[in-house]
Amino acid sequence: MKPKLILGIIAIVGFTSLLMINLGNSISTYTDFETAATMSGAHVPGTWDNTKEYGFSRETMSFSFYMADESGEVRKVIYPRPKPNNFEEADRLVVIGEMRDGVFYANDMLMKCPSKYNDADPADYAGESEWINASEG
Amino acid sequence: MAEFGPVIGVVGKFLITFSFLFSLAAMVYYFRAANNDNQKFLKVGNRLFIVKGLLMVAASAVLIDLILDHRFEFYYVFNYTSLDLAPKYLFSAFYGGQEGSFMLWILLSWVSGLGLIRWTRDPYKAPVMFFLTLTQVFLISMILGWRFGDSYFGASPFRTIAEEMPDAPFLQANPDFVPADGTGLNDLLKSPWMMIHPPILFVGFAMMTIPYCFAMAALWKRKYNEWVGPALPWTLGSNLALLTAIFLGGYWAYVTLSFGGYWAWDPVENASLVPWLVGTAGIHTMIIQRRSSVAQKSSLLFAILAYVLIVYETFLTRSGILADSSVHSFVDLGLYNQLLVFMLVVTGVGLGMFFWRYKELPSPQKESKILSPEFMTVTGAIMLLVLGIIIILGTSSPIIGLLFNDNPTPPEISFYNDWSMPLAIIMALLTVVGQFLFWKKYDAETLATALVYPLLFTSVATIASVIFGGVRNPYYMLYLFAGFFAIIGNSWVMFRLALQQPKVIGGTLTHVGFGVLLVGILASSVYNRPLLDETMQNYNEAVRQGQVVDEQGFRVTQTVDMLNLVLNEPKIINDKYIVTYLGYQLDNQNRPGQQTYEVRFEPLDGGRTFYLYPEVYPMLTTSTASTINWSVDPDVRTGIFSDIYLYVAGSAYIEKRNEMLDEQNEMMQNVADAGTNEEQESSQSIEFTRGETVEVGGFSFSFINYIQADTTQLPENTTIGIRAQIEVNHFASGQQFLIEPLFAVFMEEGQSYVMSPPVNLPMYDLSFQFSKVNPQNDTIELTITGLDETYEEEWILIVAEKKPFISVVWAGTFLLMGGFTISIFRHWDRERKKK
Repeated sequence: MKPKLILGIIAIVGFTSLLMINLGNSISTYTDFETAATMSGAHVPGTWDNTKEYGFSRETMSFSFYMADESGEVRKVIYPRPKPNNFEEADRLVVIGEMRDGVFYANDMLMKCPSKYNDADPADYAGESEWINASEG
Repeated sequence: MAEFGPVIGVVGKFLITFSFLFSLAAMVYYFRAANNDNQKFLKVGNRLFIVKGLLMVAASAVLIDLILDHRFEFYYVFNYTSLDLAPKYLFSAFYGGQEGSFMLWILLSWVSGLGLIRWTRDPYKAPVMFFLTLTQVFLISMILGWRFGDSYFGASPFRTIAEEMPDAPFLQANPDFVPADGTGLNDLLKSPWMMIHPPILFVGFAMMTIPYCFAMAALWKRKYNEWVGPALPWTLGSNLALLTAIFLGGYWAYVTLSFGGYWAWDPVENASLVPWLVGTAGIHTMIIQRRSSVAQKSSLLFAILAYVLIVYETFLTRSGILADSSVHSFVDLGLYNQLLVFMLVVTGVGLGMFFWRYKELPSPQKESKILSPEFMTVTGAIMLLVLGIIIILGTSSPIIGLLFNDNPTPPEISFYNDWSMPLAIIMALLTVVGQFLFWKKYDAETLATALVYPLLFTSVATIASVIFGGVRNPYYMLYLFAGFFAIIGNSWVMFRLALQQPKVIGGTLTHVGFGVLLVGILASSVYNRPLLDETMQNYNEAVRQGQVVDEQGFRVTQTVDMLNLVLNEPKIINDKYIVTYLGYQLDNQNRPGQQTYEVRFEPLDGGRTFYLYPEVYPMLTTSTASTINWSVDPDVRTGIFSDIYLYVAGSAYIEKRNEMLDEQNEMMQNVADAGTNEEQESSQSIEFTRGETVEVGGFSFSFINYIQADTTQLPENTTIGIRAQIEVNHFASGQQFLIEPLFAVFMEEGQSYVMSPPVNLPMYDLSFQFSKVNPQNDTIELTITGLDETYEEEWILIVAEKKPFISVVWAGTFLLMGGFTISIFRHWDRERKKK
């Protein structure tokens, strides 16, 4: 084989492995609160526990709420930013941050908003007595 | 009849079905025409193709009519519109959902097909139309909605609510049930930018099909050179459309969403960027193929890949596979298998044909020198492809991440940044060398001479921006150098070219735009600063140095980038502005319940005062009787050097509304815990600026002015002795009082004491103390005892950022668009003259 070709192959293989190693390092795994305690930058998916109080505090300048992770464990989450726009409608949250002393400090938060359309129940939009008959159907 | 839905829906379904059948027939005729070079079959194919499109136009008209008529028994109409939707949004609701957007895509692709019928020359005519029709067959199949037992083939835009949810209890109670109103369009999407974004994006999608068709036709007919000429203007047009769509999406995100940027490496954004990158790579190789008859393989490959990537994007975003990694939501219509087949066929046929013919594809006779336009252009194209591949890898994390663990998250943003930055630097340097070589012959020595001045100016610009911008990071310095080099070097070529052949400057102009974009991206993202007052800045500095601990003794690591403003109390922000909150207006016109806040910025350096009007509104589509989902609408002040971006994250008004709602909910739940309510404080301190009036507990209190206290009544060593004139109004009785409480500081035995004797209004059981003077901001504090209501301060919490040089990002984008436009005209003109 020509030395140029070998060099080329080495370069491509080197580049690809570097890329994949780096990609592997920057992809982490979704976890729960329990294992999050042992790591930093943990991604914990879960759902908002809306039975407990939540809101933004002007004293601590942070938004806090309770979240249940996928194993059902409920923990307080503190997020140092205002309440995100569509927090209440999210059916799934991913908080990214650290667990300290039973409290999760989120540096970042993603909301998975259902498409409101999926779960929309036409009956909710019927009004009181406005049942219209689609008689021509 | 319920089985088929209302008649008009059946008509719509039939139209789509016939459109599908006509496409199939057209495909067959085109195939035979291409295979046997038969002109008669081609003509039949063309007629079928035209009729098929007309049927789709009719189906779209039916859907638009249903939407305008508010026929909520149709799921699509119910889902994406409502009675109160403005007409322009009603129209855009046509392509607001997946089904309608497929229809728009098909229509635009059909219009491109009409152009192809008119302009394509033999021998490409029939095969090009065959492949275009093939893609249309797949697209139409997505909206067929044919029923097989319990499953559907495609999702029809004309399905009724009863078909969508056959098991819903309200339908079993009343099968003819029709909702009185629809769920409406998401408020965030009610934006003119979002109205025009999808059509432009689909123009890009439709046009990117054409280079694919030409490449396939070239492989079929074994004519590997001539196709590039007619394919080029379409590819350029597609790229212009995609770029415009990406820009609109970014701009919409910037001015509408609260993440405060124009790009977040979200899968959906990446998905439109990657085909653009690969399409751009294709443009490079096509241009060099036309010029020097090289790179035939790359041109074919890139033309195939660009469209394959568009279909891959469609698969990723519409199959529901990205559901967890993207903030964008997509309805999963159960099209996974159909989309997968579409993707596999387009990829398999494309790459299959390519490798089948690979051996006979023209190869370069001799290797080109490094310092040749061919080498530079192909290298540039490969760089674009590599960047595209890296972004695809990251975007495909739900699939590729499985290599690393069972439950992969999306990659960190730094993955994209770390890889795209060095590539961008190399590309920027290549553009200049490539452009110099493209227009004139150079060897190493003459090239070095020619580059002396551009390098000199680049160095000056880099050093100047390093000094004035306070750039410390050497990596950023290199990046800036590369960006400036691309701007200056390409401008150099462009100006010389403009004097001789102004029509051909499109390419150099895009490269200038690329350089401007690179510089803008760095300046706008790295030098983004929150606007904060001094206390907050000091706090954040302490956090960064690890000096702040919380009550549990943990080190606080999170900085706070928010600003609290109290009505009419100016704050000095970043040592640059005096910022004052001036109040809000309730406005029911655009969005019911919307508050428009007014914030004044007075630059300390004497610049002109300006105002920002951020908005907060309840998102009606998702709010319920027990919770209001508040949504923010930022305001942006655009400047040449920097933007100020600001939104209201909370306010006294919102808090009060939420509290009222909470109380209501508690009452509804009949939880009588009135005892836990805090007792009203009997004494409260209220801050006044001069001239301010505060209304609380049935009274109004106005701080009129200071007066000098009569010193004869004060102790001897008084250093300060003032009285505040306070006008008190009792609303119920209309009585008015003027009181003048005293604030004095006197010295006794080296110690200073404050004297503020209470002033009483015995008939209302009120007492006043002038308890504090704040000379810094000309306010006083009055302590009032005996009011049965607590005065609530009017405050807002804002998130404000200074974003330098966003305008440069836009400018770079516009230059790119301008360059593409010039190139389209140039290549189109040349193609037309060939006839």
